[in-house]
Amino acid sequence: MIKAHQITYKHKEFHILDSVDVQLEYGEFLAIVGPNGAGKSSLLSVLANEVKSKQQILFKDKNISDWPVKELSKHKAKFSQHNSNDIPLEVKDVVMMGRYPYFDAQPKQEDHEAMNKMMYETDVFHLKGREYNTLSGGEKQRVHLSRVMAQLQNEIAHKLIFLDEPLNNLDVKHQYKALEIIKNFTKKANSAVVVLHDLNLAAQYADKILLMKSGRVAAYGTPEEVFTAEKISEAYNFPCTVCDHPITHNPMIIFG
Amino acid sequence: MKAQSKLYVYVTISTILLAIIAVWSLNTGVYDFGGRSAFEVLGKVFSGDSTLSMSDKYVVWDVRAARIIMAILIGSMLAVSGTSLQGLFKNPLATGDLIGLTSGATLLAAITIVLGGHFKQYLPEAVQFSLVGIAAFIGSFLSMLLVYRISTSGGKTNVVMMLLSGVAITAIGFSITGFLIYISKDDQLRDLTFWNLGSLAAATWTKNIILAVVLVISYLIILPKGKALNAMMLGEKDAQHLGINVEKLKKQIIIITALMVGSCVAFSGTIGFVGLIVPYILRLLFKSNYAFILPLSAVCGSILLLTADTFSRSIVEPSELPIGILTALMGGPIFIAILVKFKKSMS
Repeated sequence: MIKAHQITYKHKEFHILDSVDVQLEYGEFLAIVGPNGAGKSSLLSVLANEVKSKQQILFKDKNISDWPVKELSKHKAKFSQHNSNDIPLEVKDVVMMGRYPYFDAQPKQEDHEAMNKMMYETDVFHLKGREYNTLSGGEKQRVHLSRVMAQLQNEIAHKLIFLDEPLNNLDVKHQYKALEIIKNFTKKANSAVVVLHDLNLAAQYADKILLMKSGRVAAYGTPEEVFTAEKISEAYNFPCTVCDHPITHNPMIIFG
Repeated sequence: MKAQSKLYVYVTISTILLAIIAVWSLNTGVYDFGGRSAFEVLGKVFSGDSTLSMSDKYVVWDVRAARIIMAILIGSMLAVSGTSLQGLFKNPLATGDLIGLTSGATLLAAITIVLGGHFKQYLPEAVQFSLVGIAAFIGSFLSMLLVYRISTSGGKTNVVMMLLSGVAITAIGFSITGFLIYISKDDQLRDLTFWNLGSLAAATWTKNIILAVVLVISYLIILPKGKALNAMMLGEKDAQHLGINVEKLKKQIIIITALMVGSCVAFSGTIGFVGLIVPYILRLLFKSNYAFILPLSAVCGSILLLTADTFSRSIVEPSELPIGILTALMGGPIFIAILVKFKKSMS
């Protein structure tokens, strides 16, 4: 799906990313975790073609910067960490932006369907006539999740979504709901690269974990491989214990 | 009802309103057609009636009709340029006059008039107007680049910088234009004064044809950009993820608004605030949905300027009020209203 080899990204002689390798298969849910300033968001930006890196990033075996912008938008979408606070539109207009790649002047039936479907799934349907600017932080976050997911409602096989801390400001229920949506998306042979802070949720939902520290890959593998007490306390510089989750049997990380 | 068909309804209603105002405007004036309505006379102009006197024809066709069409074209372009600039800068205060495009255009147009006065008699009318128009376009284009470079970095606009660079450009433009007035000859002086006040009184059909060409070219490019401008509200990177070529969009808006503002200034001088008033009113009704306010500002700009112009030439008959007075009278309070709202959202 996406292959990037030895990505290095510098800002004023300071290495933000240093020789990072990323490889993602079809249907894979990759969680990027790590302490603040580890380069998680920068890695996501480079992979999503927001900033140019010197190294090639292959998306579906083709250099991502060679893709036509409009065509690419039907194959991949990105949920940004810092969403605009000032969008003087109604919620449904914001979600409909996700369908912009699909229509010229007038939204088609399928665009309305995709919009409504995702608004239901992210639990913002009841807000559709509200002004976006009056929503709370968590509601705004869900509106954007809805928009980004609506963007990828199409017949194309093997789509890719990037999400930068999608769970910020969400309450417990909506955190799980958001992860379920992403998980369902990857079950249909699509892939997701998600920056997460909650290691337990990452262990529960992700297929692969990329643990970062100071712009480098500290560990990469399945949750069982990466989430060991040793690797985590080393990366976060904070003591922790890992035990077996009594219900899901995923690794369960307890800090302190 | 689907949003799009609602748009068609609004466009149709406002176009009908514009037509009604145009008829009223045609009938407004001191000239007496010997008991007939101006509309009737216009019909005779079209049917080529030979009983029509030259002066009747002149007043209806070359004075009033030309002026009405010019008000429609200029009002429309000023409003659309304001709306698109606001989309580009993501701020409702961005308009051609406030950020200095108008001053830049006036400056270069004034230079062209004073320097070009020496070989004016050798050039055909259309070429003269085009030269002034091109100079005005270059002036507004350069101002635009300057303002954009100064005020925007990394896709974020600093509103204070944007407005202050407008003030700076206006100051430079004002001083040099003042100097040109000082050294210019009598007939050039008349031309220059006309610019600083802004007026539609010099409307001719040649000018209207040039303006119409500019309008059609600009609108073909800019009116379908409503969706893209909406997406820009998410931020440039997210707009890019939605398949919008952000760099190309920005270049198109910069060139097209400079072209529209430049041509308006070249033919009607500085008519302020139209690009501020029209989108402001439309935003009250349709939020900031550019898919609505961009096409609607094209019609509503015409409505505003034609109404203002008809008042300006009828309330102090037979004399005429500079139209800029009326638009500034409406625009000033709206400017303040936007500032107050802006202050609230900042705190």
